[in-house]
Amino acid sequence: MNNIYITSGSCITPIGNNISSTKNALKNNLSGIKLHQEIGFNSEDFYVSKIDKITDNRFFSLLNLSCIELKNNCPSNILNSEKTIVLVSSTKGDINNFPTNPFEKIGPFLIKNLKLKNDPIIISNACISGVVAINHAAKLIKSNQFDHVIVFGIDIVSDFVLYGFQSLFALSNEITKPFDKNRNGINLGEACCSIILSKEKINQKYHALYLGGSSSNDANHISGPSRTGEGLYRSIIKTISIAKINISDIDYISAHGTGTIYNDEMESNAFDRLQLSDKDINSLKGYFGHTLGAAGILETIVCLFSMEEKLLFKSLGLENIGVSKPLKIIPNNFSKDINYVLKTASGFGGGNASLLLKTLNNEN
Amino acid sequence: MKIKAICKIDSNEIIVNEQVVYYNNSSSTDWKKIAYQQLNFDYPKFHKMDNLSKLAVLGVKYIEQAVDFSSFKDDEINMIFANKNSSYCSDIKHYTNYTKNNLVSPADFVYTLPNILIGEIAIMQKWYGENNFFIHDNFDMNFFLNQINLYFCENSKYCIFGWIESNEEEEKAIILFLEQDNKSNFDFNRLNNYL
Repeated sequence: MNNIYITSGSCITPIGNNISSTKNALKNNLSGIKLHQEIGFNSEDFYVSKIDKITDNRFFSLLNLSCIELKNNCPSNILNSEKTIVLVSSTKGDINNFPTNPFEKIGPFLIKNLKLKNDPIIISNACISGVVAINHAAKLIKSNQFDHVIVFGIDIVSDFVLYGFQSLFALSNEITKPFDKNRNGINLGEACCSIILSKEKINQKYHALYLGGSSSNDANHISGPSRTGEGLYRSIIKTISIAKINISDIDYISAHGTGTIYNDEMESNAFDRLQLSDKDINSLKGYFGHTLGAAGILETIVCLFSMEEKLLFKSLGLENIGVSKPLKIIPNNFSKDINYVLKTASGFGGGNASLLLKTLNNEN
Repeated sequence: MKIKAICKIDSNEIIVNEQVVYYNNSSSTDWKKIAYQQLNFDYPKFHKMDNLSKLAVLGVKYIEQAVDFSSFKDDEINMIFANKNSSYCSDIKHYTNYTKNNLVSPADFVYTLPNILIGEIAIMQKWYGENNFFIHDNFDMNFFLNQINLYFCENSKYCIFGWIESNEEEEKAIILFLEQDNKSNFDFNRLNNYL
């Protein structure tokens, strides 16, 4: 049986400094988004989701915290194995030290910290990096090059990115409201999480099965999605084909749901084209903000929480739905036995990516 | 894996399949614009692109003179790129804007991600295939072949792969159009002639 198991490794977020505290915060619908004064380009106030406990050298402090938790959750014989490799998903790396190369120290840091035998692979593919990295990890295992792949996702809040999104009018002036009719943008967030894919269960923690994933470009615009969601549509079609399931099997969708007018509208169009309008769906951006390169990893870990606890989390920020096509957005936490979970992501450069998870049953 | 076409670009010349197709014999520093004009391809968006995207787009268009891309389905060609310095050429523009010039330009900011060049190619060619971007210390074709191979499947046996750099020291690109082929080994000798 060539299963690919997936389990959480670490979870350092604005609402929890480890896996279980992040999970508890989600259960309590806590958000890490707060008003930060005078952080805009002209000293405007903006809502941002930051991790208070990292102060200096924020990128590597955050990565270090994540490594500490990972070492508690992943046996050292796996970390140090030649059949193990680490992937890192990040859009801007250690951008606070620009113009020093923001990525060059990441590999050496992880090799030393985790005593790795193989050089980490760095993926930088805008906001789809995390989902793409998980998909890439699965391919590495399927090809028998590695038995275990640990995928980190990390990005920090920075002036570089904040000012840039501000200039695009992509930042909301309030707490983000994914899919809401009054939504007007994103809140930036930061996180460092790791997720482990493996040919076997690696510890006593909760594992699910990774069934498949894919990416597809919109071929439309570099900083806005295709109106019809063509790339997302194609990615989901490919993903369910790889997973060998039917669209109707999907129990829950963890959407990208950034809270911009265009993204959320596009997703509703894509899901409608796929007859997914009646599936329970949420965005997690109201809890964490948009964590960019960390989003795909963090939000897939939250999918694992939902599967483990049989609990779907409220889509924070929604009061009145404001997208053209119907969506069954989760209004409050509720219990549900879920089997097949679809995670999607979309990003600058027209990229779209998706992946499919399944709960373990007795045969697995 | 088979090399169907290979293109090398730098400020001196553009070579496709061992032929020099463009030679920079002008003193103009805007050699990419002249190389674009020589293509007789009307695409005004080119002029708004950053250096990384221009290099990538030139590579694909010059390769297209040797390969009939219209014979492929719109999702049959994967797009995988890599470099060491990410989007440095645009990062430094954006950074200089807000640290020294007291302004922020969204037109510069949108290019501060290395994968944007993939978006530009996809838009231009109407390609919907898989895409990925790796940050890597050096041009290590063995490493890249391992990653590229993972994306081949029944419905996509082709890949445009590129290593594209644009920073203060140099501008260069090596772009390969590859075909999955289990019977032939990758022709390193041929590639080495370009390095």
